[in-house]
Amino acid sequence: MKKIKICGVGSVLLGDDAVGPYTARWIAANYEFGEGVEVEDLGTPGLDLIAYMTGIDVLILIDSVENREPAGTVTVYDKAAITRQRPAVRLDPHSPCITESIFVAELAGDGPEDVYLIGVTGEQLEVGAPLSDSVRNAIPLTVQNVLERVVLHGGSWKKRETAIESDIWWEAAQMRVSA
Amino acid sequence: MAKRITIDPISRIEGHLRVDVEVENGSVSNSWASCTMWRGIENILKGRDPREAWLFTQRFCGVCTTVHAMASVRSVEDALKLEIPLNAQYIRNLILINHGLHDHIVHFYHLSALDFVDILKIPAADPAKTSALAESLTNWPGNSKKAFLAAQDKVKAVAASGQLGIFTNGYWGHPAMKLSPEVNLLAFAHYVQALEYQRKSVQAVAILGSKSPHIQNLTVGGVSNAINLDSLATLNMDRLVMIKKLMDEVKPFIDQVYLPDVCAIAGMYSDWFNYGAGVTNYLASPDLPTDSKNTKFDLVGGYIMDGNLSSVHRFDGFRDKAFVDGVTEGVDHAWYKGSEPLHPWKGETEPEYTDWQAEGKYSWVKAPRFNGKPMQVGPLAQILVGYAAGDPLTRKHTDKALDLISTVAGHRIGVEKLQSTMGRHVARAIRASMLAELGEKHWTLLVNNIASGDVAIHNNPVFPSGEIEGVGVHEAPRGLLSHWSVIKGGKLVNYQAVVPSTWNGSPRDAKGQHGPYEASLLKNPIADPVRPLEAIRTIHSFDPCMACACHTFDPEGKAIATVKVL
Repeated sequence: MKKIKICGVGSVLLGDDAVGPYTARWIAANYEFGEGVEVEDLGTPGLDLIAYMTGIDVLILIDSVENREPAGTVTVYDKAAITRQRPAVRLDPHSPCITESIFVAELAGDGPEDVYLIGVTGEQLEVGAPLSDSVRNAIPLTVQNVLERVVLHGGSWKKRETAIESDIWWEAAQMRVSA
Repeated sequence: MAKRITIDPISRIEGHLRVDVEVENGSVSNSWASCTMWRGIENILKGRDPREAWLFTQRFCGVCTTVHAMASVRSVEDALKLEIPLNAQYIRNLILINHGLHDHIVHFYHLSALDFVDILKIPAADPAKTSALAESLTNWPGNSKKAFLAAQDKVKAVAASGQLGIFTNGYWGHPAMKLSPEVNLLAFAHYVQALEYQRKSVQAVAILGSKSPHIQNLTVGGVSNAINLDSLATLNMDRLVMIKKLMDEVKPFIDQVYLPDVCAIAGMYSDWFNYGAGVTNYLASPDLPTDSKNTKFDLVGGYIMDGNLSSVHRFDGFRDKAFVDGVTEGVDHAWYKGSEPLHPWKGETEPEYTDWQAEGKYSWVKAPRFNGKPMQVGPLAQILVGYAAGDPLTRKHTDKALDLISTVAGHRIGVEKLQSTMGRHVARAIRASMLAELGEKHWTLLVNNIASGDVAIHNNPVFPSGEIEGVGVHEAPRGLLSHWSVIKGGKLVNYQAVVPSTWNGSPRDAKGQHGPYEASLLKNPIADPVRPLEAIRTIHSFDPCMACACHTFDPEGKAIATVKVL
């Protein structure tokens, strides 16, 4: 049985950058998974991502991306596509570093075999703003892409009979996706 | 003529720290530190319930999560003059200690070590010699010839694959790289081992805080960890033993690997005790309270001016009058509206973007000052304040480190030499070894307190209708953090976070005084302006943390640092 981790990453305080944490929480509230599958909202872990990817076989990240596609486009990147990006000379430990974290975990011989980034093209990154409609409407497709990868690697899922309330505390009183 | 170098690692959308230096005759003659992204995150707290502010502040930064949570609850508790039950203090302290250990290990090995360690020299090393050298320093079981051979094979495999990955942009073969192949191998092997130990500290935080990276167990007034040693669902003996076991595994790594590695590298690069002092005014907060009223602490706070270690002013608590009255933030060179420096309780965050102007406004970071002076914060400030105040714990760990460095260097390195680029790395390792020792102490305090029958974890906050002000202070891994709140009728009406990297990354003020990053770069050697390794060494020594903000992944690879030489 493979260990599969689904992680939402991004800042919940910066508009569409919240799509990762939002979707991870929405998945946890609406789906149950078989053994070996975990769902987490990791925020903006920077280099600390390494601590959460060791000992994992399959890492599925959900994040906002900037790729010149129209807002709300869902694009899936596999490990080869992610690691094609050359890591930066780093001045601080906090900047985005999915690529770098994968390299470091691999050096330790403990990195995930497969990595996917389910990317949603963002529209705005305003402090305190809720998700844009374009991004919010992309959540079902994002979820579908996550679930397909879970199954591809031998994991299982089923929809909860009764969804628990998705804890999107930072958007209290904002419109939410309907299950 | 001076050459201007811009080190701007980040693409448009991510925008964090940018450093500009002017280089003349191989040495830095002028410098600017700027943050290239507007935050203004504090504004979203206005009007909110002070009891939930910590959930938001915990998201200011993805790495310093717990520290912003802690400063926030302390700020509200200070405004309410609320006492904190002993169990809650100890549980919080254990979280802070384990988070700090994780943070310091990652900073040294995974952010900074490769500024001094040349990966591409490792294939030439003799693993047997590396092992003999390592075993002469400590008894660490990971120092066998076999372990070093395995580490060397990893580097050889990466080099042979032609895909240097993380090492693509290193300054390999730079003339400022001075370690022998054997020492490079030693440090790299520990770089890999460090991954395992930093994770153990994260696990300890997760057990105490219910989750990591975002802890769930804080309340204004204490913690929410129900204590019942026999119940499965609460903080019970099993969980306490798990935490102890993790700390017992991490402590030897700190004592036998991290601290000796830093001391050895410091001894071999002892010229780096001569660069990067910068601002020699130091400010540190007391922390790790051991009573419910926040009057007794295991970490000493206070301030030192002009590098004078024979004169220290101690703070007697989180809300020391000298500290609270002394802090202002100015915006003369920051992209905000305003003229006079303001106290944080009166602070405003109204943007006024110009463009990067060397003589005008050039950063999103405000300029915090203490009694009008720029101050350096961080482990160095904490260690120097503790040492100067005669704190026995600080002195014990500092003297041990200085002895080892002096032995390796072959000449005496005294405590005053810590005021430097290398001193900041050494101070962080000293702080880690203090924290590892204090972890044992606070675990024992917690267990004994519970055993005495005390299971209190929370005091209920009651908000008056009038206006109250609070300051929440925490000596975080990057230094003194303070959250300033103004509350009226149970709602936040103002909130300002003065973070360590604001003190250290401050721009100039109205008097033209440089902030610590800027001042520390002056007179740094720069052998090759296209590869400004020396400037990066000095900046990394502060453990900078700028926007702590946006995480958007850019598949086009624009996150590559650009070094522009004008």
